[in-house]
Amino acid sequence: MQILKAVYINEMFKISKKKKITAVFIFTIISVIVASIVEYSLNNFAGIRITGSSEFSIMVLTILSYSLFPLFTAFICIDLFAGEFTDNTIKFTLTGPASRVKVFLGKIIAIATFIIANLIFAMVLSVIVSLIKNCIIPNLLKILISYIMAFLPIFIFALVVVLISNITKGTTSTFMLSIFVFLVFNGLTLAFPQIKSYLFTSFFDWYRLILGSYINFSKIFRVFLILLGYGIMLFTAGYYLFERKDI
Amino acid sequence: MLDKAIVIENLSKMYKNNRGIQDINLEIDQGEIFGFLGPNGSGKTTTMKIMVGLMKADKGDVKINGFSIINDYERAMKDVGCIIENVTPFPYLTAYENMQLRGRFIRQVDEEQIDKCLGVTGIIKYKNEKIKNYSLGMKQRLGIAMAILSNPKIIILDEPFNGLDVEGMVEMRKLITNLSKQQKTTFFISSHLIHDIELTCDRVGILYKGKLIGVDSNHNILQNYSSLENYYLSEVDLNADS
Repeated sequence: MQILKAVYINEMFKISKKKKITAVFIFTIISVIVASIVEYSLNNFAGIRITGSSEFSIMVLTILSYSLFPLFTAFICIDLFAGEFTDNTIKFTLTGPASRVKVFLGKIIAIATFIIANLIFAMVLSVIVSLIKNCIIPNLLKILISYIMAFLPIFIFALVVVLISNITKGTTSTFMLSIFVFLVFNGLTLAFPQIKSYLFTSFFDWYRLILGSYINFSKIFRVFLILLGYGIMLFTAGYYLFERKDI
Repeated sequence: MLDKAIVIENLSKMYKNNRGIQDINLEIDQGEIFGFLGPNGSGKTTTMKIMVGLMKADKGDVKINGFSIINDYERAMKDVGCIIENVTPFPYLTAYENMQLRGRFIRQVDEEQIDKCLGVTGIIKYKNEKIKNYSLGMKQRLGIAMAILSNPKIIILDEPFNGLDVEGMVEMRKLITNLSKQQKTTFFISSHLIHDIELTCDRVGILYKGKLIGVDSNHNILQNYSSLENYYLSEVDLNADS
């Protein structure tokens, strides 16, 4: 346990020292502010009401779930896996000494922590902006559950990037392939709606299932199981390749 | 206490280009300084990578302090410090932060111990500088500081003299012999610099085309040959056609 803890703290320390982290938070702030200005302009000048007080946070989540969140997550996954394979810094962690299962697990937990921190930051920021704009307290429970639910598909995408990192050689190829997979899966969702329910990318907004007046729990459970299945398969495949990799 | 620090048994690893290592058997005693010599591509780094778990062997095993590197990795590597191939610390971190990363794996490491190791290797002045500004020699010194951070019983060094200036090489030799004498630290060192191996090591093994073709003590070698270089060349000549 001490070694797993050491790996996790080290990974979080490395993430915190990267300049990308500052960029992540700056871009998140910019996105929320731009979304707020656009919404305010449409509401007040075009006469189009696109969101209520609590929906602003959900709108921000929808925008970020399909854009910046997967992008930032891909960057961090690439840094922690493909980046360390490329510049051989992975040797320091492995000879720490830490068994490969602990290194893999420590890195995955660190990535999950990053995604959670990113979601919390966006949620708090959007709620504050929403409060300032509307002077009404939004439905915090709905917002909180939506942000919690948004974690799972982003985490699944992180596992896809980790898997690709263990297959390809180099950071650029990993990044390109990850973006390609993301776009192809989204394209398939549009081109073949009948297979939509099998592609994890179509569940990036699955939190919408709890937003209506009627909540279909069986559908939520079914989607959860599909995402869980993706998670187990991707984690196992990623670990298998990581364990066998010659450094 | 086990008298064998490292036991290598039937170690084999072949690459797709048919190069690699074949049936390496070797035993290193506690407190011994063992030199591993061989031309480029003979398999020295492959052997050392397998020894520290960075590569998987096709066949065979390595036991460090009695623990198998395959079945009991963490216990086998608990008292091992190493530099394999080139030293590659995290470039966006300082030397001190890189040492902290290593120190988190070891319970008893504190700031004082980190400073002591950086002091011994002569880079304490630059401990707060980022690694991206370090020269090759400074990185090498940092690698050695990291390797000795936990006061390990065994230190595995692949080309430790690479990038060091003459002063650095002399300091490094002194450090190795002092640790071996005072703390009975076992060293497994590979190097192209035959002179340094001759001056530092108690016993030498020669790896050629992936096979261990000769192992002897430095004392015996220098009784029968005028220098380690002559011994090395004669062993390589004998095996050149096989």
